[in-house]
Amino acid sequence: MRTAAPAKTRTMNLVTAVNEALDLALAADKRVLLLGEDIGRNGGVFRATEGLWKKYGEERVVDTPLAEIGIMGAAVGLAVNGLKPIAEIQFDGFMPSVFDQVVCHLGRIRSRSRGKLSVPLILRAPHGGLIHAPEHHSESPEAYFCHTPGIKVVVPSTPYDAKGLMLAAVQSPDPVIFFEPKLLYRSATGEVPSGHYTVEIGKARLVQEGNDLTMLTWGAMTVTCQKAAAKLAAEDGASVEIIDLRTLSPLDLETILASVSKTGRCVIAHEAPNTGSWAAELSALIAERALLKLLAPVERVGGWDIRMPLFRLEQYYIPDADRVVLAARKALAF
Amino acid sequence: MALKTVATFDVQRLEILSPDGSYDKALLPKVSNDLLLKMYRLMVQIRAFDERAILLQRSGRLGTYPMITGQEATQCIPPLALKPTDWVVPTYRGGGVYFARGMQMRYALLYWAGDDRGTHFPDGNKDMIFSIPVGTHLTQVMGLAWGEKFKKTKGVALTYLGDGTSSKGDLHEALTFAGQFKLPAIYIIENNHWAISVPRSRQSASQTLAQKAWGYGVAGLQVDGNDPLAVYAATAEAVARARAGEGPTLIECETYRLGHHTTADDATRYRADKEVEMWRKRDPISRMKKFLTGKKLWDEKKEKKLTTETRSWIDGEVKAYEEFPNPNPLDMFANNYEHATPALIEQRAQLEELLKFKGGAKILTELPPVEGRFP
Repeated sequence: MRTAAPAKTRTMNLVTAVNEALDLALAADKRVLLLGEDIGRNGGVFRATEGLWKKYGEERVVDTPLAEIGIMGAAVGLAVNGLKPIAEIQFDGFMPSVFDQVVCHLGRIRSRSRGKLSVPLILRAPHGGLIHAPEHHSESPEAYFCHTPGIKVVVPSTPYDAKGLMLAAVQSPDPVIFFEPKLLYRSATGEVPSGHYTVEIGKARLVQEGNDLTMLTWGAMTVTCQKAAAKLAAEDGASVEIIDLRTLSPLDLETILASVSKTGRCVIAHEAPNTGSWAAELSALIAERALLKLLAPVERVGGWDIRMPLFRLEQYYIPDADRVVLAARKALAF
Repeated sequence: MALKTVATFDVQRLEILSPDGSYDKALLPKVSNDLLLKMYRLMVQIRAFDERAILLQRSGRLGTYPMITGQEATQCIPPLALKPTDWVVPTYRGGGVYFARGMQMRYALLYWAGDDRGTHFPDGNKDMIFSIPVGTHLTQVMGLAWGEKFKKTKGVALTYLGDGTSSKGDLHEALTFAGQFKLPAIYIIENNHWAISVPRSRQSASQTLAQKAWGYGVAGLQVDGNDPLAVYAATAEAVARARAGEGPTLIECETYRLGHHTTADDATRYRADKEVEMWRKRDPISRMKKFLTGKKLWDEKKEKKLTTETRSWIDGEVKAYEEFPNPNPLDMFANNYEHATPALIEQRAQLEELLKFKGGAKILTELPPVEGRFP
């Protein structure tokens, strides 16, 4: 469900949209607090929390010691204790530290307490590559989190969705892992309504309609798919439907299956290594539930099954429009 | 019933050479003049290298680069108390450490230019890759030290961490094991007072970081980290203890990051110029120069010669760095396993197809050779 968007809009980039959502959340509810490394005085290394420390004070926008397990465990405790912590892990590559908390506790406290306790926290982290960042700053770890029961995983690709999904996450009674594609922080711009609105968690976004092939994607790869679809339209006369999942868990299976059933061909594009990826789960679900509608095998386009190389080769690791086009042509020619 | 003191600790701080060049004769480490001159030369050269690397980054010829300036003593001096066959594990801000271990700095440039060929240790050195997610190496170093003890080599393992990383749980586990098993491990906390924008004072309510050692039965010491002689003396003593089977040492070196966290950071957003200026006066290089001059080991003529040599050395390293051919994209498939898996063989072929699609069939013959091992 999408609440009615206020009429006034402003053009902004994705990081500003995140900042605006956090600002609104802090203003609306005194139980909301932000914690993380360099998020206070420095406004976050990507400036996602710029100005909030000054506006809301150091008790609500908290520069923590450099300790990710501490940040995550604190957020769990704060959330169980009735607060709404929004924790930031500075880079995706620093997230493995928090796995113990996420895997063993975050998604489990509600059921283990027979519904008496809940952990309504938000864990924010930049996501993905292609910004020429140093090692461990360009990862796509979403599959690890999607694999874990009891939590929700969100990846917006537009400023509108970033703000609306963040405000929906603030209202979520369950924990939300909120990935922010760092390539899009400043390169994605769009109209964003001022004031409060939400984009429902668990609903995909139809980027463009088409009849010949479905592209399922998320994060910065959404933009790559748009480029690939334009090339396929121009050179192959192919009509491509693109679905930006926005929420990876829980999946909007209804939208996915309806599109794949319509086109009969599907390319899933993402940045993580293919093996054991979220694309693998999607491919399995499509095979289980829409096999007889398929006209070609589902194609997965992801990173290779090797570690992310240093940035001079990242363009050959993370799929580009050419790789998406080649996969689509394979499906179309099948 | 009684309330008794069951343990007491004193945290000591070692200072030998003052910023004005005066020194405590009784504490001077017994080292050759050649080694004293080497200390100075390494620090001068790594600072000049740092300045050039920043210029390269600013002109778009290097990726994000973490500055060293101000920390030359803590970087360049401890490796001098070790043998190449001792393990050294720097942090990502470890250019000076690798340099003191004999690494050609063209490779450091290559690494920060995002090129995997930039990891290139001298043969025979027990060097380890550094970890960018901070702190994860601390337990590994404990394991490296354990291995030396197990093999009865009398070798040691020395590593670095920052004041920020001292907050991570990894240090707790590393020191717990190292103390319990009396391992030949040396942990140098390079306390440069800022973890990006978060000051030392916000990392821990602990009065010093050195005192964390006592919680684990580990020897601890605080050192003026901008005093090359004190850093050397403290490291040498820790190495001697480790080799003698007396266990690990935690050394807190108090230094200062004069530059930004990296070229992607702007330190003026979070700290006062006054503080930076205060630390500039405690510079490790100028006090070493005063010391050497006072001992008649150094003069302006030698300084001039060093300046010229340093410039041509850096020019040579930058030239060598820039002459590396572009990396071959297929190189990323090398060295992932001792023997590549069937999946990787298939995927490498897919990348070849992609390269042909982009650049024509000829492209594969034009790429530089793959250096790594495949399949």
